Amino acid sequence: MSLPLHLRSYREKSKDELTRDFFNVPLQSSLPGPSDPPSVVKLRERPYKNGQEELQSMDINAVISVEGKEEVYAGRLSLLPPFLCFISLDRKSCRYTIPLYTIRRVERLNSRAGVFALSLATWHGMRIILQLTSLLPTAEHFAILLRDALKSQLSAMKQLKPFLPSLYSEYLLSSPVSTAAAQQQTDHLLLGTELNEKAGNVGTEAESDLRGPGGEGKGIYQRGLGEQFGFPGDARKMRERSKMKLWREYFMIHGRNLTLLRYPPFQRLLQVGLPSRLRGELWEVMSGSVYLRFANPETYGLLLSQNAGKSSQSTDEIEKDLNRSLPEYKAYQSEEGLARLRRVLVAYSFRNPELGYCQALNIVVAGLLIYMSEEQAFWLLEVLCDRILPGYYSPSMEGTLLDQRVFESLVHRCLPMIQEHFVSVDVQISVASLPWFLSLYINSMPLIFAFRIVDCVLAMGVKVLFQIGLAVLKINGEALLEVTDDGMFINLMRSYFATIGDSAHPDHPDPRVRAITNFQELLVVAFREFNVITDETITAERKRLRAIISDEIEKFSKRAAVRNLKNIGKFSKEQIGIIYDHYFSAICSPEAGPSTYPGSSPLPGDQFDQPRIQVDAQGRVETRIDHRTFRVFLSQIATWAREETVTTNAFIQRTDRRVADHELIDRLFFAWDSQNQGTLSLQDVVLGLNRVMTAGLMESIEWFFELHDKDKDGFLTKDEVIQLSESLLFIFRNEPGDIYLAAVSKFILNAYEFGDATAPEGSVDEKIPIHGDRETASGARERSDSSAGPHNLPYLNLATFRMVVLADELLENFFANDLTASFQLEQTGDEDYHQAHQRPEGLLGGLMNLVVTNENKNRLNRLADGFGAALGKHAEWRKPSLTKTVESSTSSGDLKARESLLTPAQQAAQFQRPTPPRQRSSSAVSQASTKTVESTTTIGTPDEKRSLADVEARYREESQMVKAAQEAVMHRPNFAIDAIGDSDDDGEGEGDDVMDEVEAFLKAHGDDDEGLKGEQKKVAEDLLKAEPVGKGKKKDSSSASTGNLVDL
Amino acid sequence: MAEETPVKAVQVKLVLLGEAAVGKSSLVLRFCQGDFNENTSPTIGAAFLTQKCRLENRIVKFEIWDTAGQERFHSLAPMYYRNAQAAVVVYDITKAASLEKAKAWVKELQRQANANIVIALVGNKLDLVSESSTSPAPPASSEAPAEEEEEEGSSEEPSATPTPNETESDDARQVSTAEAEAYAKESGLLFFEASAKTGHNVGEIFTEIAKTIPFDTIVPKSTTNTSGNRRSGNNNNDNGSNNNVNLGEGQQAKKGGCC
Repeated sequence: MSLPLHLRSYREKSKDELTRDFFNVPLQSSLPGPSDPPSVVKLRERPYKNGQEELQSMDINAVISVEGKEEVYAGRLSLLPPFLCFISLDRKSCRYTIPLYTIRRVERLNSRAGVFALSLATWHGMRIILQLTSLLPTAEHFAILLRDALKSQLSAMKQLKPFLPSLYSEYLLSSPVSTAAAQQQTDHLLLGTELNEKAGNVGTEAESDLRGPGGEGKGIYQRGLGEQFGFPGDARKMRERSKMKLWREYFMIHGRNLTLLRYPPFQRLLQVGLPSRLRGELWEVMSGSVYLRFANPETYGLLLSQNAGKSSQSTDEIEKDLNRSLPEYKAYQSEEGLARLRRVLVAYSFRNPELGYCQALNIVVAGLLIYMSEEQAFWLLEVLCDRILPGYYSPSMEGTLLDQRVFESLVHRCLPMIQEHFVSVDVQISVASLPWFLSLYINSMPLIFAFRIVDCVLAMGVKVLFQIGLAVLKINGEALLEVTDDGMFINLMRSYFATIGDSAHPDHPDPRVRAITNFQELLVVAFREFNVITDETITAERKRLRAIISDEIEKFSKRAAVRNLKNIGKFSKEQIGIIYDHYFSAICSPEAGPSTYPGSSPLPGDQFDQPRIQVDAQGRVETRIDHRTFRVFLSQIATWAREETVTTNAFIQRTDRRVADHELIDRLFFAWDSQNQGTLSLQDVVLGLNRVMTAGLMESIEWFFELHDKDKDGFLTKDEVIQLSESLLFIFRNEPGDIYLAAVSKFILNAYEFGDATAPEGSVDEKIPIHGDRETASGARERSDSSAGPHNLPYLNLATFRMVVLADELLENFFANDLTASFQLEQTGDEDYHQAHQRPEGLLGGLMNLVVTNENKNRLNRLADGFGAALGKHAEWRKPSLTKTVESSTSSGDLKARESLLTPAQQAAQFQRPTPPRQRSSSAVSQASTKTVESTTTIGTPDEKRSLADVEARYREESQMVKAAQEAVMHRPNFAIDAIGDSDDDGEGEGDDVMDEVEAFLKAHGDDDEGLKGEQKKVAEDLLKAEPVGKGKKKDSSSASTGNLVDL
Repeated sequence: MAEETPVKAVQVKLVLLGEAAVGKSSLVLRFCQGDFNENTSPTIGAAFLTQKCRLENRIVKFEIWDTAGQERFHSLAPMYYRNAQAAVVVYDITKAASLEKAKAWVKELQRQANANIVIALVGNKLDLVSESSTSPAPPASSEAPAEEEEEEGSSEEPSATPTPNETESDDARQVSTAEAEAYAKESGLLFFEASAKTGHNVGEIFTEIAKTIPFDTIVPKSTTNTSGNRRSGNNNNDNGSNNNVNLGEGQQAKKGGCC
């Protein structure tokens, strides 16, 4: 049993992180510095080393242009060291991420009228002109930060040279730079191959085409299995050569690989499918995984060599799945292909042991390896798991569950008829859509199409998965409304995907329309009609639904954990549930956080970074708690295992709980550790509690005795008697009055007296053996105590102990009632933890959100204490563990209200006790103040009221801004896709450039994309045609961007 | 069982559960396609297959959800077993731990799934244990399914003593027939030991389930079936892609009575 602990530590991403995500830039902390050792195992947070400060990020408005390119874009330039990123104002036309180590020169340009302009020259000579349009001082500050960031990359620049040959684009461009000559050469080469082809030389096509110019054999670029085993699909039909040529031209002007700029043609080239040879490289560039590969050149090799021969649960699982990862592809019928797949999956499982291996990764990686080298695939896998598909493959798969719910909610919004129908026939969309998301459609449709979807996902993010999914449902809308059960739904989807390469309009008179495939139609619907699904939509929906999913996962694992307990003692199901909740919340509590784990590297041999998780003999993962966590756990259940400080000031009364620390608690821990593992499972805790909570007088006396009889010989030594008394005093420590102290003193005296009388003669003087496992700080202390000779003699047996206890009415009462009753199973209030902690989003909710943070609570508490102290009305006292009520004082009612946690049984067993002395001073005030601890503050004095009102007003203001922003996100134009089955060709060209372009492109290229079969004559013609179309597009986009045009 | 129902295909939703790599997918494949493929296609979430099974007086169309066995997919399982009328919980007789997991599944099904769900416990990989333990004849199809388990018990193989042998010897059995059977009996499950590789006992599992299902309670489902026919009318390529059904029917012909 392992528990989904990580859900509680989830936090929303910061703005900086979101920006970095948007630009596919890794966090600065995940990039090793020049002096760092290669990072092998993935770290959650890399602590910043002394002296190495994080370089500052900065945003600035800028206008950029590239030499050789007419277009000029205004937008936002972000310095995210060590990257420089840009996004045009419309957020789609122009976008780039450039690592600073590729920049050779930066010059400030002499320009007129105080325009601050910089010229950046990349290592291959591309010149980018940046006009910083902010105020001059801002621009200068930016330039300084840029300079610092550039300086920090000097050493990285040296790594550039050895890195570049690993990129296919460099190989492709390695012809003479003179463009005209290269152009001619390429054209000639390409035409040459085409002529060959025409001559019927189809078999060698894969080998002969596009090795790149130069023709001096194979480069040393990183390559996928496809180079060896052939890429899926018919290269000619997929028009690989034309695509390659277009990309080559694109690279010449817009930079390549690490310096690739995304201009409008990029989007078009992307959406017609990437050419096979370039695909791997473009994947890693678009997703940003190439930056990780650059920054961690040794990691992959080290992971493999360091873990060679090791096996784990993950490696076993990987082994089982190797043979079912795209088995239809040739390479995976060979040892070579399987070995690569194995190495990547195994390396990643050691890199990220918390995730390990998840079924479906085998499919994804098998797909990647067709186009990428092992190392490339490895880093892309990291980016997929971390950023693009967060939580999809984690042990509780919360990301998958969440996105399925998000998808359902989007279906509900965009295709309500389908959603309603599915609800009415009780079919879950996820039965079909789950594998779409988990394997990026790779297993759902023919490979050549699936990879085109992967192209788009890696370039544009996870929203593509949703857009495609919605489009699939919409296109099949009519048939879906006929579905009555899971089986029909699955079959319908299967047959749709099986025919996705067929014509979408087979009976249309126009051959150009006939040539449009189902897949092209799918893309058009996805990107045109569902372009309303943006990154922001997904983020907002995830945020809205995350708490629900987290609670469901926690409840699910709770049910499973409770169900799988072998022995639940005398507890009811509900009580077990409460114990589970405490157990779980103790593990999640920050106080239980492993202080020994500073976020550096995990302990060697520790498979998980949470030492509370163990792997048992059968390789199963089990959550157990250590004694630190146990203390937290017990403090939630046993009244004496916590320190409760009640603070009263002029305004409020509150109770602060802290975890108590005493040997007694550790004794219980070790007593309950049935298997001497040094940790407790839920089962251990349940049985332990079962014993103490169901005990009557005699049983209580017995377990308490045993707890202190360390060597289990049935006798307490003198030392142990003392320790037992200390334990009693610890329990009684906050009880008012002297009677408990008196009772314990009497107990010691009696114990010694009767013990002396009954002590066995000539007992062996032995040291108390201390179990190795049980050695703790307190254990060590005991050992030093126990070396004191005669004190160690066995001394007091159970019968005598019982007699001594029963001799005292107070102790008798304690063992008969109070001790058992001091263990209380109260609801934790953790039911729907995540939803409870996710504040509502409305105006009031937003306000609450802003006000009720723990930090604010503490701040307010301190403030109130300060006021109280100033007024002389501040008081604190320790809440007693056993005392029930305080009689007849003014504050008694008050105290009663606070003690509502007490069980009726306890209240029945009341003792008469004097009022805690210090309480009186505060009582008058506290009567006027709030009663319950958790409730929000009631305002006591006008002063305070005013200051709170100020705070409130400020928060209201802020929350209104929040609300406005939320509305902006939520409010989007309506779109008419609810009517299922309407054709897609009605005019929806409402100025959406990209989508129009795609459509136009598809129309123009409909015939040469997947198009007409066997029309080889046309190929050369098409090739010539392709270029003008591209140029036409350029014109389009430049006219579209005139709004952004800035005269330099 | 309602013996008098006219011959008519009744749909039964069946879910396969069990630890990873105990051979769930292979069992289904064997059942649906009559062959054994070492490289079964991967199961993401759950694979969906259908197969028809002929009883004396009715045709049962199994809609089989073959779920992923990896632990982390556990939380997805309810999506597949809800509304299921039958479940096959598979363990690997050469892996003791897999029976524990199977027991957990049974518990979960009994609490969370359909109240009338018919559960069969299946020990797979009978081909991996020594010859003598595979040899006993499969229980001949009997009329009363309730007695089926006992019959199987009576034909208990002598060599089924649990002698877990780490070395790659012929007897890799870790779960004795007696132990698993006793558990199955106690929990009210159908019980089989089978081999997806040889096909031993595979058809019997599904036949017995078909016999055991209280069809009276799911008669309304047969209306679903008529609508299913309507669907196949307007969606013809459905049959083309889903050749599992066709293959299965071919297998029926081959195997004759059993399936």
